[in-house]
Amino acid sequence: MEVSTLPISASHRGKLISSGYTSLSSLSSVSPSRLSQDLKISENEAVEILKVASRRSGSEKIENGNHAIMNGAQTAWDMLREEESSVCITTSCSDVDVILGGGIRCKEVTEIGGVPGIGKTQLGIQLAVNVQIPSGYGGLGGKAIYIDTEGSFMVERALQIAEACAQDMVEYDNLLRKDSQACRVIKQPKAFLENIFYFRICTYTEQIAVINYLEKFISEHKDVKVVIVDSITFHFRQDFEDMALRTRLLGGMALKLMKLAKQFKLAVVLLNQVTTKYNEGSFQLTLALGDSWSHASTNRIILHWNGDERYAYLDKSPSLRSASAPYAVTGKGIRNAAPNCKRVKLM
Amino acid sequence: MRPEDLLRHPLPTQTPKLTLGCSLLDRLLGGGIPCYTITEIVAESGTGKTQLSLQLLLAAQLPVSRGGLSASSLYLHSEFPFPFRRLHQLSLFYKTDLPHDPLERIFVQTLQSADHLLDLLPRLDFLLPKLNIKLIIIDSVAALFRGEFENTPLELKRRSSMFFKISSKLRFYSHKFGLAVVLTNQVVDVMQSSDNLRIGNSAFFCSSGRRVCAALGLSWANCVNTRLFMWREEERVGEDCESFERMQTRRFIRVVFAPHLPDSSCEFVIRREGVLGCIDDNGQRK
Repeated sequence: MEVSTLPISASHRGKLISSGYTSLSSLSSVSPSRLSQDLKISENEAVEILKVASRRSGSEKIENGNHAIMNGAQTAWDMLREEESSVCITTSCSDVDVILGGGIRCKEVTEIGGVPGIGKTQLGIQLAVNVQIPSGYGGLGGKAIYIDTEGSFMVERALQIAEACAQDMVEYDNLLRKDSQACRVIKQPKAFLENIFYFRICTYTEQIAVINYLEKFISEHKDVKVVIVDSITFHFRQDFEDMALRTRLLGGMALKLMKLAKQFKLAVVLLNQVTTKYNEGSFQLTLALGDSWSHASTNRIILHWNGDERYAYLDKSPSLRSASAPYAVTGKGIRNAAPNCKRVKLM
Repeated sequence: MRPEDLLRHPLPTQTPKLTLGCSLLDRLLGGGIPCYTITEIVAESGTGKTQLSLQLLLAAQLPVSRGGLSASSLYLHSEFPFPFRRLHQLSLFYKTDLPHDPLERIFVQTLQSADHLLDLLPRLDFLLPKLNIKLIIIDSVAALFRGEFENTPLELKRRSSMFFKISSKLRFYSHKFGLAVVLTNQVVDVMQSSDNLRIGNSAFFCSSGRRVCAALGLSWANCVNTRLFMWREEERVGEDCESFERMQTRRFIRVVFAPHLPDSSCEFVIRREGVLGCIDDNGQRK
């Protein structure tokens, strides 16, 4: 009976044992209010008893009302509630949003790959703009970090997409006849550009340096909600004399990005290229960087052509089934494909 | 080099562009060839790639107010011979606009192979600022790789590796010095039966009545930012007095993929003054 060894008053000890609290472990998971109710003592006294018990059992702290056993652990219940209330970044194409469960998720790494010209950079720029949509319109109201390794980011296109996004918000206002001032924050296209932190990198060492620097940068800019890397592959497809080094570098990068996503609760989007893999006598299209890299991302979307239409295929997801959705790249950015196309196709 | 130095914030609201010397073609490209990126022109021989390249070499010297870059150009060519006479003929049309002899601001270097190009690129660090070069044209990239690599997986991997090395270096200098980089590429025939990998705005492209696609494959397509396709068609325009069919060559240019341009195309002609876009009979740019 460990409780009997606690340095507390005899009356408290007696009350504990008669109420059923005979071991220290039973005290580690009860809240002070509950304890005071059971023992019919004041809450302060209950807190005192719990403090003594925790000191004895050697655990660092007992949180009030929190049933955590270890620091940093979370109950699945809390996680579910957090996930349900989290907002996704819309892709501006409702069909694609549907297969993604709402859009690009925060706290996760999403990899998007496809052939040149399919719209990877377009989607990257669209996400960098959409993350800035204020919460009044269902967005995150955050900022974006865009790491450009290929020089594909064209400011004129970003301004064009930002203008269309601002236009959409105005139309939404008019549709719902919203008069409240809070929703009237119509941004100028240039304002969207100011909220994109653009890094241009030209070598793989710069790429690694920037990704290592992101932790510090994001701690100073807490409103960054998405990190887009366009593309993650390019600098690693050159000759590496030491392939083991390449694998180590890629692995380190993947870990850093996953940690960033979890730590700062933001979305990490990695744009990847495709290459051909010789498999059982035929050539198959596959994402670059090899099989070990495929573990780096939580979600994977493959953009591909189907006849004359562009499709997004959700290839890997921890909670959603594989599905395909058409989308179009228009002057306004990524949008739904024309109405006569097939809708969402579930695999 | 600190990571903070790699941040460009706030972003400029416009990318500098190089005019093609024709307002219709400029409109196709949203203002002209953009700086800081790599633009590729894919075409069959004899369509007009080199003609357009020569025009760009001269246009780069125009002042910025006229759409030029106010700078010299570098022409790296792997196909022989160098079209000096045509360049000279074209330069006569620019003599009035420029205070100096345009030919003095064009630097030419022949390329023997891909390795030769890789050896040459580090020298650009020194040459580009010294000679105030803001345009580099490589005509053509495909010729550098033809015939040098065998068709084994290992060799193809090595070739693909070289693509990324070259592209990486070109992008580095393009970013560092604000260059416009233009590469020309050739076409290869596409067999009807094979699974054609679709890259860009059309499932297949035709030139001179044959199905073609860009040379150098999928890896190389990842190494350029913008790809333009030029092609020509033979069109029957009627019969002449001896009932022979009269054919006319028509030339077109189209955007295959670009981060800032929609799918659009334009007809053009090659005149003495150079490559000019043309409007169709309905008065619209096609």
